[in-house]
Amino acid sequence: MNHEPYETLAATYAVGALDGQDRIDFERHLAAGCDVCEATLRESAEALATLARSRPPMIPPPAVKDSLLRRLATTTPVGRDVRPRPRPIVWAAGAVAAVIAAAAFTGTYVAARYEAQLGVMARELAALRTRVEREEAALREEVAIYRNAVDLLRDPQAQVVTLRGQGPNPAATGRVIWHPTNGGYVFVANLPSAPPGKAYELWTIGDAAPQPAGVFQVDASGRAAHRIAPVEGGKPVKVFAVTLETEAGVQQPQGPMVLASAK
Amino acid sequence: MATIGADLVRQMAAGDREAFAVFYDRYAPVVFPLILRIVRERADASDVLQEVFWEAWRDAPAYDAARGSAEAWMVTRARTRAIDRIRATRRRSETFVAPLDDGVAAAPSESAPDAAERAAARGTVMTALDRLPEAQREVIELAYYAGLTQTEIAERLKQPLGTVKTRIRLGLERLREVVKASS
Repeated sequence: MNHEPYETLAATYAVGALDGQDRIDFERHLAAGCDVCEATLRESAEALATLARSRPPMIPPPAVKDSLLRRLATTTPVGRDVRPRPRPIVWAAGAVAAVIAAAAFTGTYVAARYEAQLGVMARELAALRTRVEREEAALREEVAIYRNAVDLLRDPQAQVVTLRGQGPNPAATGRVIWHPTNGGYVFVANLPSAPPGKAYELWTIGDAAPQPAGVFQVDASGRAAHRIAPVEGGKPVKVFAVTLETEAGVQQPQGPMVLASAK
Repeated sequence: MATIGADLVRQMAAGDREAFAVFYDRYAPVVFPLILRIVRERADASDVLQEVFWEAWRDAPAYDAARGSAEAWMVTRARTRAIDRIRATRRRSETFVAPLDDGVAAAPSESAPDAAERAAARGTVMTALDRLPEAQREVIELAYYAGLTQTEIAERLKQPLGTVKTRIRLGLERLREVVKASS
Protein backbone atom coordinates (compact mmCIF):
# COMPACT_ATOMS: atom_id res chain seq x y z
CA MET A 1 0.00 0.00 0.00
CA ASN A 2 1.45 3.41 -0.84
CA HIS A 3 1.55 6.06 1.84
CA GLU A 4 -0.98 8.51 0.43
CA PRO A 5 -4.11 7.04 2.09
CA TYR A 6 -2.40 7.26 5.48
CA GLU A 7 -2.00 11.00 5.08
CA THR A 8 -5.76 11.38 4.92
CA LEU A 9 -6.16 9.05 7.88
CA ALA A 10 -3.54 11.03 9.84
CA ALA A 11 -5.43 14.30 9.34
CA THR A 12 -8.72 12.74 10.38
CA TYR A 13 -6.99 11.16 13.38
CA ALA A 14 -5.52 14.54 14.35
CA VAL A 15 -9.00 16.06 14.75
CA GLY A 16 -10.14 12.97 16.64
CA ALA A 17 -12.66 11.84 14.02
CA LEU A 18 -11.15 8.57 12.81
CA ASP A 19 -13.37 5.61 13.65
CA GLY A 20 -14.04 1.99 12.76
CA GLN A 21 -11.63 -0.04 10.67
CA ASP A 22 -9.82 3.11 9.50
CA ARG A 23 -8.79 3.87 13.04
CA ILE A 24 -7.62 0.32 13.68
CA ASP A 25 -5.61 0.38 10.44
CA PHE A 26 -4.06 3.76 11.20
CA GLU A 27 -3.13 2.93 14.78
CA ARG A 28 -1.47 -0.25 13.50
CA HIS A 29 0.45 1.82 10.94
CA LEU A 30 1.49 4.29 13.64
CA ALA A 31 2.52 1.54 16.04
CA ALA A 32 4.75 0.09 13.32
CA GLY A 33 6.57 3.46 13.32
CA CYS A 34 6.01 6.17 10.71
CA ASP A 35 7.95 9.41 10.88
CA VAL A 36 5.79 11.10 8.25
CA CYS A 37 2.54 10.49 10.12
CA GLU A 38 4.16 11.34 13.46
CA ALA A 39 5.20 14.69 11.98
CA THR A 40 1.71 15.30 10.57
CA LEU A 41 0.14 14.62 13.95
CA ARG A 42 2.68 16.81 15.74
CA GLU A 43 2.24 19.75 13.37
CA SER A 44 -1.54 19.41 13.48
CA ALA A 45 -1.54 19.45 17.28
CA GLU A 46 0.62 22.57 17.25
CA ALA A 47 -1.68 24.29 14.73
CA LEU A 48 -4.76 23.41 16.79
CA ALA A 49 -2.99 24.72 19.92
CA THR A 50 -2.21 27.99 18.13
CA LEU A 51 -5.86 28.15 17.13
CA ALA A 52 -6.89 27.74 20.78
CA ARG A 53 -4.47 30.48 21.81
CA SER A 54 -5.78 32.86 19.17
CA ARG A 55 -9.12 33.09 20.99
CA PRO A 56 -9.41 35.57 23.85
CA PRO A 57 -8.11 34.03 27.09
CA MET A 58 -10.60 33.40 29.87
CA ILE A 59 -9.81 33.22 33.56
CA PRO A 60 -11.45 30.10 34.99
CA PRO A 61 -13.27 30.15 38.35
CA PRO A 62 -10.65 30.54 41.13
CA ALA A 63 -12.16 27.56 42.96
CA VAL A 64 -10.60 25.24 40.38
CA LYS A 65 -7.06 26.30 41.15
CA ASP A 66 -7.68 26.30 44.91
CA SER A 67 -9.04 22.81 44.81
CA LEU A 68 -6.15 21.57 42.65
CA LEU A 69 -3.54 23.05 44.96
CA ARG A 70 -5.26 21.51 47.98
CA ARG A 71 -5.30 18.14 46.25
CA LEU A 72 -1.63 18.49 45.36
CA ALA A 73 -0.68 19.34 48.92
CA THR A 74 -2.10 16.10 50.26
CA THR A 75 -0.50 13.79 47.74
CA THR A 76 2.96 12.92 46.59
CA PRO A 77 2.86 11.65 43.05
CA VAL A 78 4.24 8.15 42.67
CA GLY A 79 7.84 7.95 41.58
CA ARG A 80 8.79 11.44 42.78
CA ASP A 81 10.50 12.74 45.83
CA VAL A 82 13.08 9.99 45.90
CA ARG A 83 15.09 11.64 48.70
CA PRO A 84 14.64 9.51 51.82
CA ARG A 85 12.72 11.41 54.43
CA PRO A 86 14.35 11.82 57.85
CA ARG A 87 12.78 9.29 60.14
CA PRO A 88 12.14 10.51 63.68
CA ILE A 89 13.76 8.23 66.18
CA VAL A 90 13.27 10.48 69.18
CA TRP A 91 11.88 7.62 71.18
CA ALA A 92 15.28 5.93 70.95
CA ALA A 93 17.10 8.79 72.62
CA GLY A 94 18.74 7.59 75.78
CA ALA A 95 18.53 3.94 74.83
CA VAL A 96 21.54 1.75 74.45
CA ALA A 97 23.63 2.38 71.32
CA ALA A 98 23.17 -1.18 70.10
CA VAL A 99 19.41 -0.88 70.36
CA ILE A 100 19.48 2.37 68.40
CA ALA A 101 21.62 0.80 65.74
CA ALA A 102 19.41 -2.27 65.52
CA ALA A 103 16.23 -0.19 65.43
CA ALA A 104 17.64 2.16 62.82
CA PHE A 105 18.73 -0.80 60.74
CA THR A 106 15.29 -2.43 60.99
CA GLY A 107 13.57 0.87 60.25
CA THR A 108 15.65 1.53 57.18
CA TYR A 109 15.27 -2.05 56.06
CA VAL A 110 11.49 -2.01 56.43
CA ALA A 111 11.24 1.38 54.75
CA ALA A 112 13.41 0.23 51.87
CA ARG A 113 11.25 -2.86 51.44
CA TYR A 114 8.14 -0.71 51.45
CA GLU A 115 9.54 1.66 48.90
CA ALA A 116 10.56 -1.20 46.64
CA GLN A 117 7.12 -2.71 47.01
CA LEU A 118 5.45 0.62 46.31
CA GLY A 119 7.54 0.95 43.17
CA VAL A 120 6.42 -2.50 42.01
CA MET A 121 2.80 -1.63 42.79
CA ALA A 122 3.05 1.64 40.89
CA ARG A 123 4.47 -0.15 37.86
CA GLU A 124 1.80 -2.82 38.05
CA LEU A 125 -0.86 -0.16 38.35
CA ALA A 126 0.49 1.70 35.34
CA ALA A 127 0.60 -1.53 33.31
CA LEU A 128 -2.94 -2.33 34.36
CA ARG A 129 -4.12 1.11 33.40
CA THR A 130 -2.55 0.81 29.96
CA ARG A 131 -4.20 -2.57 29.51
CA VAL A 132 -7.61 -1.34 30.60
CA GLU A 133 -7.29 1.67 28.33
CA ARG A 134 -6.33 -0.55 25.41
CA GLU A 135 -9.22 -2.92 26.09
CA GLU A 136 -11.60 -0.02 26.44
CA ALA A 137 -10.46 1.37 23.10
CA ALA A 138 -11.00 -2.05 21.48
CA LEU A 139 -14.46 -2.31 23.02
CA ARG A 140 -15.33 1.19 21.88
CA GLU A 141 -14.36 0.22 18.34
CA GLU A 142 -16.51 -2.87 18.53
CA VAL A 143 -19.49 -0.97 19.89
CA ALA A 144 -19.03 1.68 17.20
CA ILE A 145 -19.13 -1.01 14.50
CA TYR A 146 -22.28 -2.60 15.93
CA ARG A 147 -23.98 0.72 16.45
CA ASN A 148 -23.20 1.83 12.93
CA ALA A 149 -24.38 -1.51 11.56
CA VAL A 150 -27.67 -1.19 13.45
CA ASP A 151 -28.08 2.38 12.23
CA LEU A 152 -27.46 1.14 8.71
CA LEU A 153 -30.10 -1.59 9.11
CA ARG A 154 -32.70 1.06 9.89
CA ASP A 155 -32.22 2.42 6.39
CA PRO A 156 -34.81 0.85 4.07
CA GLN A 157 -32.21 0.82 1.30
CA ALA A 158 -29.92 -1.46 3.29
CA GLN A 159 -29.87 -5.12 2.36
CA VAL A 160 -28.52 -8.19 4.11
CA VAL A 161 -26.55 -10.64 1.99
CA THR A 162 -25.65 -14.15 3.17
CA LEU A 163 -22.15 -15.50 2.55
CA ARG A 164 -21.51 -19.25 2.45
CA GLY A 165 -18.31 -21.16 3.14
CA GLN A 166 -16.44 -22.38 0.07
CA GLY A 167 -13.91 -25.15 -0.52
CA PRO A 168 -12.26 -26.36 2.65
CA ASN A 169 -14.45 -24.23 4.96
CA PRO A 170 -18.07 -25.31 4.41
CA ALA A 171 -18.94 -24.38 8.01
CA ALA A 172 -17.86 -20.74 7.59
CA THR A 173 -20.69 -18.23 7.42
CA GLY A 174 -21.01 -14.53 6.85
CA ARG A 175 -23.49 -11.70 6.51
CA VAL A 176 -23.01 -8.43 4.71
CA ILE A 177 -25.13 -5.45 5.62
CA TRP A 178 -24.90 -3.35 2.50
CA HIS A 179 -26.07 0.10 1.59
CA PRO A 180 -25.68 1.16 -2.05
CA THR A 181 -24.26 4.59 -1.23
CA ASN A 182 -22.94 4.32 2.34
CA GLY A 183 -21.13 0.97 2.06
CA GLY A 184 -21.60 -1.48 4.88
CA TYR A 185 -20.21 -4.14 7.19
CA VAL A 186 -19.33 -7.79 6.89
CA PHE A 187 -19.65 -10.14 9.85
CA VAL A 188 -18.10 -13.59 9.55
CA ALA A 189 -18.00 -16.65 11.80
CA ASN A 190 -16.35 -20.08 11.85
CA LEU A 191 -13.35 -19.07 9.76
CA PRO A 192 -9.99 -20.50 10.85
CA SER A 193 -7.28 -17.97 11.77
CA ALA A 194 -5.32 -16.95 8.70
CA PRO A 195 -1.84 -18.55 8.54
CA PRO A 196 1.07 -16.24 9.49
CA GLY A 197 1.64 -13.54 6.90
CA LYS A 198 -1.85 -14.04 5.45
CA ALA A 199 -5.15 -12.25 5.91
CA TYR A 200 -8.66 -12.45 4.56
CA GLU A 201 -9.58 -9.99 1.86
CA LEU A 202 -13.08 -8.95 0.91
CA TRP A 203 -14.11 -8.27 -2.69
CA THR A 204 -17.09 -6.51 -4.17
CA ILE A 205 -17.97 -7.79 -7.63
CA GLY A 206 -20.21 -5.87 -10.00
CA ASP A 207 -20.06 -5.82 -13.76
CA ALA A 208 -16.35 -5.14 -13.89
CA ALA A 209 -13.36 -6.84 -12.25
CA PRO A 210 -13.57 -7.61 -8.49
CA GLN A 211 -12.77 -4.56 -6.35
CA PRO A 212 -10.70 -4.99 -3.16
CA ALA A 213 -12.76 -3.99 -0.10
CA GLY A 214 -10.23 -4.35 2.68
CA VAL A 215 -8.32 -7.04 4.56
CA PHE A 216 -9.24 -8.38 7.98
CA GLN A 217 -8.27 -11.01 10.51
CA VAL A 218 -10.58 -13.22 12.55
CA ASP A 219 -10.35 -13.43 16.34
CA ALA A 220 -9.63 -16.57 18.34
CA SER A 221 -13.24 -17.70 18.03
CA GLY A 222 -13.17 -17.38 14.24
CA ARG A 223 -15.24 -14.21 14.07
CA ALA A 224 -14.64 -10.82 12.50
CA ALA A 225 -16.50 -7.58 11.85
CA HIS A 226 -15.17 -5.39 9.09
CA ARG A 227 -16.24 -2.08 7.60
CA ILE A 228 -16.76 -1.98 3.83
CA ALA A 229 -16.21 1.35 2.12
CA PRO A 230 -18.82 2.36 -0.46
CA VAL A 231 -18.09 1.37 -4.04
CA GLU A 232 -16.91 4.30 -6.13
CA GLY A 233 -19.76 5.93 -8.02
CA GLY A 234 -22.27 3.77 -6.15
CA LYS A 235 -22.04 1.02 -8.79
CA PRO A 236 -24.19 -2.00 -7.91
CA VAL A 237 -22.52 -4.96 -6.23
CA LYS A 238 -23.73 -8.38 -7.35
CA VAL A 239 -21.44 -10.67 -5.39
CA PHE A 240 -19.41 -10.36 -2.19
CA ALA A 241 -16.52 -12.77 -1.79
CA VAL A 242 -13.68 -13.37 0.68
CA THR A 243 -10.33 -14.86 -0.32
CA LEU A 244 -7.18 -15.71 1.59
CA GLU A 245 -4.35 -13.39 0.53
CA THR A 246 -1.08 -11.99 1.75
CA GLU A 247 -1.38 -9.82 4.85
CA ALA A 248 -1.01 -6.52 3.02
CA GLY A 249 -3.84 -7.32 0.60
CA VAL A 250 -3.72 -7.56 -3.19
CA GLN A 251 -5.44 -5.65 -6.01
CA GLN A 252 -6.73 -8.78 -7.79
CA PRO A 253 -7.88 -11.95 -6.03
CA GLN A 254 -5.18 -14.63 -6.19
CA GLY A 255 -5.72 -16.90 -3.20
CA PRO A 256 -8.44 -19.48 -2.54
CA MET A 257 -12.03 -18.28 -2.04
CA VAL A 258 -13.34 -19.01 1.45
CA LEU A 259 -16.70 -17.23 1.45
CA ALA A 260 -19.02 -15.97 -1.25
CA SER A 261 -22.58 -14.76 -1.68
CA ALA A 262 -24.95 -16.55 -4.07
CA LYS A 263 -24.95 -15.07 -7.56
CA MET B 1 8.04 30.48 24.97
CA ALA B 2 7.59 26.79 24.30
CA THR B 3 10.80 26.15 26.21
CA ILE B 4 9.44 27.84 29.31
CA GLY B 5 6.40 25.57 29.18
CA ALA B 6 8.58 22.50 28.76
CA ASP B 7 10.75 23.60 31.70
CA LEU B 8 7.70 23.98 33.89
CA VAL B 9 6.53 20.48 33.04
CA ARG B 10 10.00 19.15 33.83
CA GLN B 11 9.88 20.86 37.23
CA MET B 12 6.41 19.45 37.81
CA ALA B 13 7.77 16.01 37.00
CA ALA B 14 10.27 16.52 39.81
CA GLY B 15 7.40 17.27 42.19
CA ASP B 16 7.62 21.08 42.17
CA ARG B 17 4.21 22.38 43.24
CA GLU B 18 5.09 26.02 42.69
CA ALA B 19 5.94 25.22 39.08
CA PHE B 20 2.51 23.68 38.80
CA ALA B 21 0.87 26.90 40.02
CA VAL B 22 2.78 28.91 37.39
CA PHE B 23 1.93 26.32 34.75
CA TYR B 24 -1.73 26.56 35.69
CA ASP B 25 -1.80 30.36 35.51
CA ARG B 26 -0.20 30.18 32.11
CA TYR B 27 -2.31 27.53 30.40
CA ALA B 28 -5.68 27.48 32.19
CA PRO B 29 -6.82 30.71 30.49
CA VAL B 30 -5.96 29.15 27.11
CA VAL B 31 -7.65 25.79 27.54
CA PHE B 32 -10.64 26.94 29.60
CA PRO B 33 -12.38 28.74 26.69
CA LEU B 34 -11.74 25.68 24.50
CA ILE B 35 -13.29 23.34 27.08
CA LEU B 36 -16.20 25.70 27.61
CA ARG B 37 -16.82 25.91 23.89
CA ILE B 38 -17.06 22.11 23.73
CA VAL B 39 -19.04 21.31 26.89
CA ARG B 40 -20.96 24.62 27.01
CA GLU B 41 -21.82 24.48 30.74
CA ARG B 42 -19.50 26.47 32.98
CA ALA B 43 -19.79 23.97 35.84
CA ASP B 44 -18.90 21.07 33.53
CA ALA B 45 -16.05 23.07 32.04
CA SER B 46 -14.63 23.70 35.53
CA ASP B 47 -14.77 19.96 36.30
CA VAL B 48 -13.03 19.08 33.07
CA LEU B 49 -10.42 21.78 33.61
CA GLN B 50 -9.59 20.40 37.03
CA GLU B 51 -9.35 16.87 35.67
CA VAL B 52 -7.08 18.00 32.83
CA PHE B 53 -4.62 19.79 35.10
CA TRP B 54 -4.64 16.99 37.62
CA GLU B 55 -3.70 14.57 34.86
CA ALA B 56 -1.01 16.96 33.66
CA TRP B 57 0.56 16.86 37.12
CA ARG B 58 0.28 13.07 37.22
CA ASP B 59 1.61 12.56 33.69
CA ALA B 60 4.30 15.26 33.76
CA PRO B 61 7.11 12.66 34.01
CA ALA B 62 5.94 11.16 30.71
CA TYR B 63 6.06 14.48 28.80
CA ASP B 64 8.60 14.54 25.99
CA ALA B 65 9.43 18.02 24.68
CA ALA B 66 10.67 16.48 21.43
CA ARG B 67 7.14 15.34 20.66
CA GLY B 68 5.51 18.75 20.95
CA SER B 69 5.14 21.96 22.94
CA ALA B 70 3.66 21.99 26.43
CA GLU B 71 0.85 24.09 25.03
CA ALA B 72 -0.07 21.49 22.39
CA TRP B 73 0.22 18.82 25.09
CA MET B 74 -2.37 20.66 27.19
CA VAL B 75 -4.68 21.67 24.35
CA THR B 76 -4.84 18.10 23.02
CA ARG B 77 -5.53 16.82 26.53
CA ALA B 78 -8.22 19.44 27.17
CA ARG B 79 -9.99 18.78 23.88
CA THR B 80 -9.96 15.00 24.44
CA ARG B 81 -11.34 15.22 27.98
CA ALA B 82 -14.00 17.76 26.98
CA ILE B 83 -15.14 15.51 24.13
CA ASP B 84 -15.17 12.50 26.51
CA ARG B 85 -17.49 14.51 28.71
CA ILE B 86 -20.00 15.39 25.99
CA ARG B 87 -19.88 11.87 24.56
CA ALA B 88 -20.68 10.45 27.98
CA THR B 89 -23.59 12.87 28.31
CA ARG B 90 -24.74 11.98 24.82
CA ARG B 91 -24.62 8.24 25.64
CA ARG B 92 -26.63 8.80 28.79
CA SER B 93 -29.32 10.70 26.95
CA GLU B 94 -29.19 8.05 24.20
CA THR B 95 -29.14 10.60 21.45
CA PHE B 96 -26.83 9.70 18.66
CA VAL B 97 -27.07 13.10 17.08
CA ALA B 98 -24.80 15.75 18.51
CA PRO B 99 -26.07 19.28 18.89
CA LEU B 100 -24.93 21.40 16.02
CA ASP B 101 -22.24 23.84 16.94
CA ASP B 102 -23.45 27.43 16.87
CA GLY B 103 -20.79 28.31 14.36
CA VAL B 104 -21.85 25.51 12.05
CA ALA B 105 -25.54 26.09 12.51
CA ALA B 106 -25.16 29.76 11.78
CA ALA B 107 -23.29 29.13 8.58
CA PRO B 108 -25.71 29.52 5.67
CA SER B 109 -24.89 27.13 2.87
CA GLU B 110 -26.27 29.26 0.04
CA SER B 111 -23.85 32.15 0.32
CA ALA B 112 -20.69 31.96 2.34
CA PRO B 113 -20.04 35.33 3.94
CA ASP B 114 -16.44 36.28 4.21
CA ALA B 115 -14.40 35.25 7.18
CA ALA B 116 -14.48 38.55 9.04
CA GLU B 117 -18.26 38.86 8.72
CA ARG B 118 -18.71 35.33 9.95
CA ALA B 119 -16.51 35.92 12.95
CA ALA B 120 -18.26 39.18 13.71
CA ALA B 121 -21.62 37.43 13.46
CA ARG B 122 -20.48 34.97 16.09
CA GLY B 123 -19.14 37.77 18.22
CA THR B 124 -15.67 36.29 18.27
CA VAL B 125 -12.35 37.34 16.91
CA MET B 126 -11.37 36.02 13.54
CA THR B 127 -9.22 32.93 13.80
CA ALA B 128 -7.23 30.85 11.37
CA LEU B 129 -10.23 28.56 11.10
CA ASP B 130 -12.31 31.34 9.61
CA ARG B 131 -9.86 31.62 6.75
CA LEU B 132 -10.73 28.13 5.56
CA PRO B 133 -13.21 27.45 2.77
CA GLU B 134 -16.64 26.91 4.30
CA ALA B 135 -16.88 23.18 3.50
CA GLN B 136 -13.50 22.50 5.14
CA ARG B 137 -14.18 24.66 8.19
CA GLU B 138 -17.48 22.87 8.73
CA VAL B 139 -16.03 19.33 8.88
CA ILE B 140 -13.18 20.39 11.16
CA GLU B 141 -15.59 22.09 13.56
CA LEU B 142 -17.90 19.06 13.62
CA ALA B 143 -14.95 16.80 14.37
CA TYR B 144 -12.86 18.93 16.68
CA TYR B 145 -15.50 20.86 18.64
CA ALA B 146 -18.60 18.68 18.37
CA GLY B 147 -16.70 15.39 18.67
CA LEU B 148 -18.36 13.72 15.71
CA THR B 149 -16.52 10.88 14.01
CA GLN B 150 -15.97 10.79 10.26
CA THR B 151 -18.91 8.37 9.87
CA GLU B 152 -21.20 10.62 11.90
CA ILE B 153 -20.13 13.67 9.92
CA ALA B 154 -20.81 11.86 6.64
CA GLU B 155 -24.28 10.96 7.87
CA ARG B 156 -24.94 14.44 9.18
CA LEU B 157 -23.87 16.20 6.00
CA LYS B 158 -25.19 13.46 3.70
CA GLN B 159 -21.81 13.31 2.01
CA PRO B 160 -19.76 10.25 1.09
CA LEU B 161 -17.21 9.30 3.73
CA GLY B 162 -14.37 9.82 1.26
CA THR B 163 -15.45 13.41 0.68
CA VAL B 164 -15.54 14.09 4.40
CA LYS B 165 -12.06 12.69 4.91
CA THR B 166 -10.65 14.66 2.01
CA ARG B 167 -12.19 17.89 3.32
CA ILE B 168 -10.72 17.28 6.75
CA ARG B 169 -7.32 16.68 5.26
CA LEU B 170 -7.37 19.73 3.01
CA GLY B 171 -8.77 21.87 5.81
CA LEU B 172 -6.12 20.80 8.27
CA GLU B 173 -3.35 21.30 5.71
CA ARG B 174 -4.66 24.80 5.07
CA LEU B 175 -4.95 25.50 8.79
CA ARG B 176 -1.34 24.50 9.27
CA GLU B 177 -0.27 26.83 6.46
CA VAL B 178 -2.31 29.76 7.80
CA VAL B 179 -0.96 29.25 11.31
CA LYS B 180 2.59 28.98 10.04
CA ALA B 181 2.22 32.11 7.93
CA SER B 182 0.76 34.17 10.76
CA SER B 183 3.25 33.14 13.45
